[in-house]
Amino acid sequence: MTATTLPEVSQSNAEVPAGRRSRRGLVFGLTVAVVVAAVGYAVPYVIKDTYTMSLAVEAALLGLLALGIGFLARHLGLISLGHTSFFGGAAYAVGVGVNHYGWSMTQSFAFGVLVGTALSLVMGVLVVRASGMGFLMLTLALSQALYQLCVQTSFRPLTGAYDGLLISFRPDDTFAGVNASDLQNPGLFWPIVWIVLIVCVVAVWLLGRSPFGTILEGVRENEERMRFSNYNTFRPRLAAFVLSGLVASLGGALFALNGAYVSPDILGFSRAGDSLIAAMVGGLGSLIGPLLGTGLYVWGEAHLNTGGNLHLYTGIALIVVLVFLPGGVTGTLQRIWRRLRKERPGMGGRR
Amino acid sequence: MAVFEARGLSVRYGAVLANSDVDVSLESGQVHGVIGPNGAGKSTFIDALSGRKRPSAGQVVLDGEDITGRSVRWRRSHGISRSFQRTSIFSSMTVGRQLEMVARRNDEPDLAGIIDTLGLGEVVDRVCGEIAYGTQRSVDLAIALIGRPRVVLLDEPCAGLVADEAVRMLQHVRELCRERNVAALLVEHDVDGVFRTCDVITVLDLGKVLSSGAPDQVRADPNVIRAYLGSAA
Repeated sequence: MTATTLPEVSQSNAEVPAGRRSRRGLVFGLTVAVVVAAVGYAVPYVIKDTYTMSLAVEAALLGLLALGIGFLARHLGLISLGHTSFFGGAAYAVGVGVNHYGWSMTQSFAFGVLVGTALSLVMGVLVVRASGMGFLMLTLALSQALYQLCVQTSFRPLTGAYDGLLISFRPDDTFAGVNASDLQNPGLFWPIVWIVLIVCVVAVWLLGRSPFGTILEGVRENEERMRFSNYNTFRPRLAAFVLSGLVASLGGALFALNGAYVSPDILGFSRAGDSLIAAMVGGLGSLIGPLLGTGLYVWGEAHLNTGGNLHLYTGIALIVVLVFLPGGVTGTLQRIWRRLRKERPGMGGRR
Repeated sequence: MAVFEARGLSVRYGAVLANSDVDVSLESGQVHGVIGPNGAGKSTFIDALSGRKRPSAGQVVLDGEDITGRSVRWRRSHGISRSFQRTSIFSSMTVGRQLEMVARRNDEPDLAGIIDTLGLGEVVDRVCGEIAYGTQRSVDLAIALIGRPRVVLLDEPCAGLVADEAVRMLQHVRELCRERNVAALLVEHDVDGVFRTCDVITVLDLGKVLSSGAPDQVRADPNVIRAYLGSAA
């Protein structure tokens, strides 16, 4: 590669040069990540209530699923209902590794992530050429096909069919230094899922800022012009789909270790829809939005589900967001922040 | 010596023959204009040359090699670039970011030169969707010129521009083609601009070549005057 950098132009307005601004953003973002990681790591020392901690663990696990969905939506504009396949597929694979092959938890975790990611590769090859409603329906169809496969009676020895899969860890086995019997303890499991979540958030953020992220943005914006600019548009779409599948698979594999049980419900349409609604409520346009939405969803599931009316509330939340808060909660907060910056003298908004 | 040619090119949309047996030959450093009334098949012709539309007959030839069946990407990687009638940019990216993206892929050694020539220096940090339409057209042209293409197919680069912007745009096309030794095919409705800018002009009418040659020769062609230019030309 030869010189493809921009000339030092447009600095006459005394703004911070783009390159330096980018480096400053990188340092700032990584610093925030380290601080947030440290604060989050200490949460079990502050919150002693087991129920609240179990909600936090659930939010973080489902947050990984939402992070994968959000990555694809933000960078390629693709809305997926198929990511529960990778989440659930990875969870089932952990169970199969432990129960069927007698592998350790660490081996089964790796196997689960591998299977979930491989599923995303297979599904990706079939769906990433589509876009919009076609993509949405294809991912839904394939995920429902996997659900139907898992509940088949002939697969009962592997998946437990409609009964689900109870995972029997060896009592002496450990995962990331935590005993099998302690994995269900949310206070002890939290550091594992928190670190994985933070690493995934940072990785996804860095990818979005990288040249690869720019290519994804280009494909999302104007795929034809990308092809006429000598870019293969299939490969980056597939790579992004598989990466988002990997993130969802990590969540699924951890979910299986934490719960020691996998229900076919996690592959179902309801779970797929709920994850997507949570991500939309939080805001698909930002990195944190899907995580925030998932946190709100888990909180609502715990506190608003009286009489089984959770879906009534999630439906209302979705309508409110779609009608009054385009961009979700984080999108609205971003707009308010930009408006405040514009109104304050000497705080010229960054483009 | 022709670097890029259309030989007997025909393009069909169902029963409609949009281009019929069109021959055009481009040489390095020359700007070859294609004019004609609406529906003459000018944009279809560019689509066929760039690989966006498959011809029903004839050949697209680069350096004597038939490349009719080659993909869009193959053509771009072998030096055939194009712009679009409707501005085709990346609206949510800054000007600089999208130009760097295309430059990185196409090994452009002098992105700064393109930016300077097209006067984009002031807007490299601006989001493309927020800059003036005329500047967006320049970004479109810049994207097409990145990577030192040998052939540039320009589909109405002046569409929607005010008169002085259109004059400037065609000057840029003229200068960049000469400086970079690019063969350009220019489809444009601004007939005066085409006659001012181009070395060779082909007139299409109902998909067929009505006349082709040097600007003065074409301007004097009675067929062109009757069918397209009118007596005032």
